Amino acid sequence: MSELEYLLKRKQSIAAWSDRWQADAARFADGHRDLLPKRITNAQLYGLGNVVRSARRYADIERFIRHQAEKAERAGRLDVQGYWNDLKDALGKLRGEAQALLKTLPFPAGMDNREGLDALHRELAEVYVQHLIAHSLYQT
Amino acid sequence: MSEQAVQEVALRVALERAIARKSDGYDQRARQYADQLVGTKLDKTQIRGLETLAGTTDKVSDITDWLKLRVGRDSGRERWAKEGIGRDLVNQLEGLRNDAKKIAQGLGRGDPDLERQVHLRLCREFLKHLAAHFEYLKAEE
Repeated sequence: MSELEYLLKRKQSIAAWSDRWQADAARFADGHRDLLPKRITNAQLYGLGNVVRSARRYADIERFIRHQAEKAERAGRLDVQGYWNDLKDALGKLRGEAQALLKTLPFPAGMDNREGLDALHRELAEVYVQHLIAHSLYQT
Repeated sequence: MSEQAVQEVALRVALERAIARKSDGYDQRARQYADQLVGTKLDKTQIRGLETLAGTTDKVSDITDWLKLRVGRDSGRERWAKEGIGRDLVNQLEGLRNDAKKIAQGLGRGDPDLERQVHLRLCREFLKHLAAHFEYLKAEE
């Protein structure tokens, strides 16, 4: 597979994945609806969106979320801490999704597998968070 | 031209026809949305923005996320959140998936992504009608 073919197929696979997983992100938002918008504010959600869009590696996203959970714990806001921990788990599980997508999308020669997996994981997390923010605002 | 290429072209023509037929059927409903939207504070830039997004994205979820965000941000309920218009439109666009499913099943192709791609095309068609009616009504005002 040429690099161009790979990139086109990758784009189409992510688009299909995004449309499939919108409902899952909406369920996450609905499941934490009682925290919106007072405990988890729109500003926090926009902040999350900014971090996810600008992150270079998945670890940057995880670090941000862990930091949010720790801040909430220190403030004694255990429900908010729970939200961030649940989100960390939900986004962490997307690594498995990235691995499954990669099985249908073998890398072109010369591409680093580990970096490629991390880049795809980060991209899926970005898509998931886009759905999550849109649905969270929609519900509030 | 090989047999396979001929079949591919025939399927493509059938798909385009099916989408065109559905699109014509959406005109009336899109007109009703345009009538309602003219009664909000939305201007044609925002409706065009939605139409442009639909025409350029490869995801249906981008379109519904865009609408959901704008409904959520409209705290004054004067634009997308006025009288539930944005929510109705989200449901309408998501509901087009049923039409897409029928079209994809009718073509009987093995492409697992076809239904989603048809759904996206139907959303574009619906929003194209809506934007045209909206601009027409705005020009008449």
